[in-house]
Amino acid sequence: MREKFSLQALVLAAAGVLLALFPVGCRQTPERAAGPGAASASTPRRGGTVVTGWTAEPGGVNSLILPSTQINNEMLFRMFLHLYEEQSDFQVHPATFKPQLAESYDWSPDHKTLTFHLRGDVFWTDGVPVTAEDVRWTWQAQRDPDVAWELADSKDWITDVEVVDPRTVRFHFSRVYAKQFLDANEGPVFPKHAWEKLPFAQWRQNGDWFRQHLVVDGPFTLASWQPQQQIVLQRNERYYEKGLPYLDRVVMRQIPDQSSGLTQLLSGELDFLPQLNFGDAPRVKASPRLELIAYWFNIYVALTWNNERPLFKDPEVRRALTLAIDRQTIVETLLGSYGKVADSPILTSVWAHDPALHPLPYDPAEARCILAAKGWRDTDGDGILDRNGKPFAFELLTNTGNQARTDATVMIQDQLRKAGIRVTPRQVEFNTLATQTIAGKFDAAMMGYTIDTSLDLRSNFHSQSIAEGSNYPRYRNPEMDRLIEVGASQPDLLAERPYLNQIQQIAHRDQPVTFLWESQRLTGVNKRVRNVRPTPTFAFFNLKEWWVEPNG
Amino acid sequence: MLGFLLRRLAASLLLLLLVLTFTFFFLRLIPGDPAHIFEGQRLTLEQQQRLRQIYGLDRPLPLQYLTWISSVAKWDWGTSLSQQRPVSTVLGEAVPATAILAMAALVVEYFLALLLGIASALRRGSALDHGIRIVTLLFFSLPLFWVGLMVVLLFSYVWPVLPASHMHSVDADLMSPAGRLLDLARHLFLPALVMGIGTAGGTARFLRASLIEVMSQDYIRAARAKGLSERRVVWVHGLRNAIVPVIQVFAIQLPVLLSGALIVEVVFSWPGLGQLTFLAISTRDYPLILGAVALSATLVILGNLLADILHALVDPRVRDA
Repeated sequence: MREKFSLQALVLAAAGVLLALFPVGCRQTPERAAGPGAASASTPRRGGTVVTGWTAEPGGVNSLILPSTQINNEMLFRMFLHLYEEQSDFQVHPATFKPQLAESYDWSPDHKTLTFHLRGDVFWTDGVPVTAEDVRWTWQAQRDPDVAWELADSKDWITDVEVVDPRTVRFHFSRVYAKQFLDANEGPVFPKHAWEKLPFAQWRQNGDWFRQHLVVDGPFTLASWQPQQQIVLQRNERYYEKGLPYLDRVVMRQIPDQSSGLTQLLSGELDFLPQLNFGDAPRVKASPRLELIAYWFNIYVALTWNNERPLFKDPEVRRALTLAIDRQTIVETLLGSYGKVADSPILTSVWAHDPALHPLPYDPAEARCILAAKGWRDTDGDGILDRNGKPFAFELLTNTGNQARTDATVMIQDQLRKAGIRVTPRQVEFNTLATQTIAGKFDAAMMGYTIDTSLDLRSNFHSQSIAEGSNYPRYRNPEMDRLIEVGASQPDLLAERPYLNQIQQIAHRDQPVTFLWESQRLTGVNKRVRNVRPTPTFAFFNLKEWWVEPNG
Repeated sequence: MLGFLLRRLAASLLLLLLVLTFTFFFLRLIPGDPAHIFEGQRLTLEQQQRLRQIYGLDRPLPLQYLTWISSVAKWDWGTSLSQQRPVSTVLGEAVPATAILAMAALVVEYFLALLLGIASALRRGSALDHGIRIVTLLFFSLPLFWVGLMVVLLFSYVWPVLPASHMHSVDADLMSPAGRLLDLARHLFLPALVMGIGTAGGTARFLRASLIEVMSQDYIRAARAKGLSERRVVWVHGLRNAIVPVIQVFAIQLPVLLSGALIVEVVFSWPGLGQLTFLAISTRDYPLILGAVALSATLVILGNLLADILHALVDPRVRDA
């Protein structure tokens, strides 16, 4: 029986390890320091830490050498200031701008020179003032070919950035157009004195260098960065808006698995999860400690037809395809009250959406009539339309990891089969989908399109954007090209509206893509965190104004 | 012994070169090329071409390979396209986390394997043996990601006693060294358990078979006849001989552990090679994928080399062969 003793010893040893871990293993919500001056429940107070969860990790601290992804911008735009901060009030008029680094601006009479007057009380974290030299040097970096900034084309029409004096900087444009102010303001301003030591040619291979030489002027600075784990932002004590930010620290935990993120939000380990699945909404709503924030997002999902393929070349056929898809049922089934049928490349929540437009109805009979008029008939009685011996059949791509889109492809397959069209859905990894659609090697693809507040539709629908841009449907229409160009050359966005309306009407008529749905974004927040106001562009939009309950 | 070591070392280096070469060219067979990471961005064709030049992706593939392999020899794995940092730095940050997790998983695995394997072998044919066989089969066949999610659900949500993810708590920086160590142990427990369970089933069954075979040998009967205690017979004479094949299993298990780490690290947000590889693949960061795969291959080859050396130490016939 001696061997029993040895096995028992193994068990006992394991039990000892467990006892060492579990007594302290009771729920340990991270301790959040209470700042000075406890306040009432409705009054903002300083202090505390908020823990947020993200599926991705920022790529670095220099946005000029990083892709313009949400996670990069969420963090970096809290660390570096723009000249003006774009607001999210674009529902009834073009977005307004709030002074940030600059306190005012003025235009020259010919509208080709824009002068910004900088604040005098903004400093980098090392105590050096932010000046016009920083603005000019940032523009030089943005334009440098070796830096290869993703948004460098926003500076195409800026011929020079002139330093008038340390607090005055002047942008010179080669032409007048609607986005002049947006282009001048595109991208945060970076510290010349700290970063100019590394030649531009070496930037792309030395991402770490910028973190090692980091100074910021925004409300938060970087406290620590543990790769693949978490980034801790802490209050920048030199930030120019006195009293802000309220929070001491913001932790950005990286949680690649979305279901793990939800579990942690529910268990209280996380305070904030920017993006939830629609199916998770009831669980978040049911939690007494959580709040579900739903808001219209800046993405629409569309069926992208490859307009260069013979099957989808004819606008009438594309229109018939849209009529044969019951988008309302798809939206109600998959998104419930968090979505609506889309009808335009400009979202219905945006001021420039053409109110005269309405989604095409679900009308399979009309779809069959149009297709019959185009010669598509079921001549062999197999239930599939054919013409010249070829069946109406195509492959529909979508990316893996998005359940709503996957389910939608199956519903569309079923609906189009009833109209006599054979669809073969195929899921591919996201990068493969991007590669195939960019190269035009696809029949149809379900994709999400992001639209920013500049409402620049050139990238999606101008024929020049087929080779270089995001014209994935490979749509060509000289009238569309003309309207995009004339619209963009107007002196401001409001003046562009008539052209935007015409562009939307053409897109609605020609259906280069079938607009499927617009959806809301669902954000989960612990109720102890107050004044959280995410916008379609930034979950962290007003991070500096977040605060936590004293006993939260 | 020295001759044996040199022979094995040379064979390992050759194998490593083959693996690196195969990995390099195999990755390029995937549709698209490394520069496609730039095409997903809003870069102009001119900018894309400039970046190809900067990262050396505009050169012919054989030249790229020669440049890469000669750089790797100098421990320069190139630059990560998604992070714009040396791949060696990025990998260097991830290796310790995977090493800690793998070691802890091995402890769990061998603890469970010894416990179940010995008990099962010594009670061969009993209800306990059948029960253990079912349990080990379950361990062996359950998908790791499912076990991981269930464990998180159970121990972090339903019965919240252990953290669901990450290597440290949010405020670990503010803890004392001892507190930080305990914090690490608490975070390590669930992923190590899941990873250990995943491999324990196979090892336990292997140990059971080996021990049953050893316990029927003449020298075991001789040991008993000499009047040695049963404990000494099992633990000294039986297990010592039965464990030799398990050492070889250990080497074979390294790839299993590394592939298990890929799943477990993602589920538990563990900052190791597995999660890094997952992220590199999802961003199509080819230099980083190449580095991670090559490093994993190197570890596996080193593991096999180590197992061979251990085997040779335990069994002199191997080094004389």
